[in-house]
Amino acid sequence: MSDKTLSDRLIGFLNTFQLAVAGLVVIVPTLWMVLSSFKQSYEVTAYPPTILFTPTLSNYAALSQTTPFLHYGLNSIIVTVGSTLIGLILGTPAAFAVSWTRVTWPAVIALVARMAPGTLFLLPWYVMFRHFDMIGSYWSLILTHAVITMPIVIWVLLPFFDGIPRSVFEAAQVDGCSPVRLFRRIALPLVSTGLAVSSILAFVFSWNYFLFALVLSNSDTKTLIAASFNFIGEGSTNWGGLMAAATLIALPPLILAVIVQRWLISGLTLGAVKG
Amino acid sequence: MKETSDNTRRQLAALSAPALIFTVGMIAFPFFYTIWLSLEAFSATGASHFAGIVNYRHMVDDGEFWHGLAITFTLYLLSLALQLVAGTYLALLLFRSKRLPGIIRSLFISPFMMPPVVAGMMWLVILDPSLGAANYILTSLGLPPSDWLASPTWVIPTVALIDTWQWAPYVALIVLGGLQSLPPSVYEAAEIDGASPFKRLYRITLPLLMPTIMTATILRSVDLLRFFDIIYITTQGGPANASDTLNIYGFRVGFEFFQFGYASALMVTLSVIVLGAVLVLNRMRAAVEW
Repeated sequence: MSDKTLSDRLIGFLNTFQLAVAGLVVIVPTLWMVLSSFKQSYEVTAYPPTILFTPTLSNYAALSQTTPFLHYGLNSIIVTVGSTLIGLILGTPAAFAVSWTRVTWPAVIALVARMAPGTLFLLPWYVMFRHFDMIGSYWSLILTHAVITMPIVIWVLLPFFDGIPRSVFEAAQVDGCSPVRLFRRIALPLVSTGLAVSSILAFVFSWNYFLFALVLSNSDTKTLIAASFNFIGEGSTNWGGLMAAATLIALPPLILAVIVQRWLISGLTLGAVKG
Repeated sequence: MKETSDNTRRQLAALSAPALIFTVGMIAFPFFYTIWLSLEAFSATGASHFAGIVNYRHMVDDGEFWHGLAITFTLYLLSLALQLVAGTYLALLLFRSKRLPGIIRSLFISPFMMPPVVAGMMWLVILDPSLGAANYILTSLGLPPSDWLASPTWVIPTVALIDTWQWAPYVALIVLGGLQSLPPSVYEAAEIDGASPFKRLYRITLPLLMPTIMTATILRSVDLLRFFDIIYITTQGGPANASDTLNIYGFRVGFEFFQFGYASALMVTLSVIVLGAVLVLNRMRAAVEW
């Protein structure tokens, strides 16, 4: 009997050991990025690399002086918040209607939008926005990013609407409640968790999206992600600054993702996997 | 009574109308417009005229297209194999450690929720051929250093490794979900029969997990076949054209050379490839369903 517990303990130890190694592989590169952002410029390119050093905030301080970092950050917030709001306004009532009628076209469209390469849409959008003289405008970025956010909102919210018992709808209907009223007064408050999760995921994916802003923004409306390209150009001589920029750009999505981690996997797999 | 249901239907239609209008304007119309553009020829002055399948014929004769296709599939198969194996392995580890601290879960989420562009910037510094930490570790272990992203031979395996670092944890969490939904009675029965742990894994657990693994495969395939962000931020398809995937090539034809007709033909082709892969993989998933 004690023999078995010993081998059990050994297996348990080996398991924990492998998990610890895997955890290190996952976290060490990110940790290295964060550490480098706190190094003096001569130390960040030191070879052999140093692990112990006197941390400095100079890279962060320099970012706002040498680059329009705050301006790009504001652009990112405008585009991300704008596209998340539009995604919610368009997607929430649609998700409710899909849940009610079981008509699946929005789900199918969302899938197509998810599968097609971004450049496929970018080519005609470029022609369209050029025609309306909208290239470089916030609206061109917000509208194109809403193509990312609306499908996320629909897919994340659907199971939440489906989770409302049918009897709630039926009872309200007997009382003469119309679908629009039912949506606003009864269904919306019941899916408040879903609304929070879908807005956060929409925000993260809009924030992280690279391709559209790469082409459709100009020096005034450039988002942080699109500006990363400039940071790399300047970063060839200044790794500390580059890593400070990378750390700051990654921070909002990482914090938000941790908040919604319980719903993350089912949301990211379009409901194919229950997290 | 009929009147009410008509009214109900109208209101439900009104609720989905904004999404429908947006979808037509921003997704459906551009989609068909790209197909139309792919049938147009553009002259140097910017004027265009209908040209039929000229762009597609040009594509078949274009060595860069075939090169891009080969790069796309090499990167796809290499990355997919790496992250399926690593992800399933991680999932089994996570499943067997009975209590999973929240911090570990957050840790595992961090690579794939950070912007791919940031992952690219980060690895660019770590993998720098002369001053990067990766080569320092290699040389201190007595191994030869690598040029990583700067090497035409190693750039694709390196990108595959970066993507595996980013997405294997995602595969792991999907497979973990599948493991947790397996009925415990299966294990108990196998244990009573005295099946060895390896036999249990290969004969019982993995076959039962196949549908979940296929789901992860489909989700990753869609992203991997369209690979863009990390390559564009680190190499832009280089060195030379060693990492010029179809998506990168199509983007460059469109927005560096401004050949919109030809770029559209490339993107329509890539979309057909992605769609075809999803249909085939979906059928394979149906075959392993239990």
